[in-house]
Amino acid sequence: MNLKNITSDALVEKYRNREIAVQEVIEDVFDEIDRVDPDLGAFIHTRKDAALEEARVLDQAIANGQTLSPLAGVPVAIKDNMNIRGIRTTCGSKILEEYVPSYTSTAVERLQHAGAIVVGKTNLDEFAMGSSTENSAFYPTRNPHDHDRVPGGSSGGSAAAVAAGLVSLSLGSDTGGSIRQPASFCGVVGVKPTYGRVSRYGLVAFASSLDQIGPFTRTVRESAQVLETICGFDPLDSTSTEVGVEDWTGTLDQPARGLRIGVPKEYFVDGMDTAVRDKIQDAIATLEGLGCKVKQVSLPHTGYAVATYYLIATAEASSNLARYDGVRYGLRVEGATHQEMYRQTRMRGFGSEVKRRILLGTYALSTGYYDAYYLKAQKVRTLILRDFQNAFEKVDLIVTPTCPTTAFKLGEKTDDPLSMYLSDIFTLTCNLAGLPGISMPCGKGSDGMPIGMQLLGNHFEEGQLLRVAHQFEQAGGFNS
Amino acid sequence: MKISATDVAYVAGLANLEVAEEEQEGLAAQLSRIVEYVELLNTLDTDDVEPTSQVVTEVSHVQREDRAAARAGSSETAKTVGLFKVPRVITER
Repeated sequence: MNLKNITSDALVEKYRNREIAVQEVIEDVFDEIDRVDPDLGAFIHTRKDAALEEARVLDQAIANGQTLSPLAGVPVAIKDNMNIRGIRTTCGSKILEEYVPSYTSTAVERLQHAGAIVVGKTNLDEFAMGSSTENSAFYPTRNPHDHDRVPGGSSGGSAAAVAAGLVSLSLGSDTGGSIRQPASFCGVVGVKPTYGRVSRYGLVAFASSLDQIGPFTRTVRESAQVLETICGFDPLDSTSTEVGVEDWTGTLDQPARGLRIGVPKEYFVDGMDTAVRDKIQDAIATLEGLGCKVKQVSLPHTGYAVATYYLIATAEASSNLARYDGVRYGLRVEGATHQEMYRQTRMRGFGSEVKRRILLGTYALSTGYYDAYYLKAQKVRTLILRDFQNAFEKVDLIVTPTCPTTAFKLGEKTDDPLSMYLSDIFTLTCNLAGLPGISMPCGKGSDGMPIGMQLLGNHFEEGQLLRVAHQFEQAGGFNS
Repeated sequence: MKISATDVAYVAGLANLEVAEEEQEGLAAQLSRIVEYVELLNTLDTDDVEPTSQVVTEVSHVQREDRAAARAGSSETAKTVGLFKVPRVITER
């Protein structure tokens, strides 16, 4: 069975009606992974025996007439920076290649509690630092639509696994666009929830004021389902909020008529693909057709976002990654003194992009430069946040392209870190402002590659976001 | 602001990283480009702007009851990953 042609709710319905056994589907999943993934590179490692055992138990429960959880027997993939007890969390890094965590992250635990079967851990840019998955210490992931192109990043493996039909859905993490950008490049739906919606307990920290976990799915309804499952307060994460999880799947069809949608003029810049511009214009027309009122808004500090982001994210990363010193986690390279052990371990364990970011972040936090770089960036972050607060007084949602281009070729940007950073220009403001955002397919470019539309909502307005996205999807039928 | 190879070596020391001498020039050039780019922020007047370290969306502080709960603790960790062995950091005189 190719999972591309069946949604997760339809799959659960088939289990319920005993049209197909969970074990059959999970076996098919691994056959397909064996066939496709040697070229695709979406997975770092899989857990076949454990997944088949879970399937067997579930089939038994179905035979006994037990009620099925909403994601019962649904094959899922997890970005390899989220812990699952007893199996490796590599973060795409040599330094954690052999690291086995002793606990499971809350988001994964909640998926498993809802019946989902984790088939494997997906490839990523090392420590989620990158926009193409080429920074994985192991191998790059390729775009399922064209193997010469990148799937985006950093959650490239999770996006590719869903786009190739290897799993029904997957989890990624988004610090500056790491869910939405690969969703756009691979032609799937990707959601970055409001900061604080999803517990990050068990997610390896990159930039703590920006990181958020979210789903990749083929349809908006499935994303709503996953969000209902993984969102909500967790006493194990002090940044998770007590704001209630709503019935997002139940309200997808409530009318979008009258909702005000803003088009920020700063997001339609020179250098954008004409095909991207055209498809977003078409998408805006579709939104108007749904009864939404579209108007132009201004986010005047957009042009400062990349600079702000790369100071804040690297500063936080340099601090978060200080813990990888050969003592507690993963790799240890012995040295004559403990200091030499730290340095040798970090030199051998980290790849070049991670080192570059640690250096930049350490520089921005160092004596004499803290005020000029880090503090300055935090102040500009306030201005970016205010831009959105002002805009959301006039509109309910904001629509933009997810990326200025379609997926680029492997190797195209690896020698130029700054040009790689600039490809995140439309996604990272959302993280700086803590907003929810979704990327969904809205057509294809002249190169045949998917184009993504991004919708941004005000804090905790996932309901509106999903509703408009769902109705857009129904109106356009853009799913690949 | 240009970053020199000496700056790279200094910052690498602060970050417990070792950068081979032949890599220092290249990294200095890359970091200089990035730092020159981020200096764009200096064109903004932020004298009266408060910094944002984290976007606070919560209305009130989230607190939990001070109650012990069963967690994966050190014994569980030891079972899964083995004991931690650290190199000697104190030496005899």
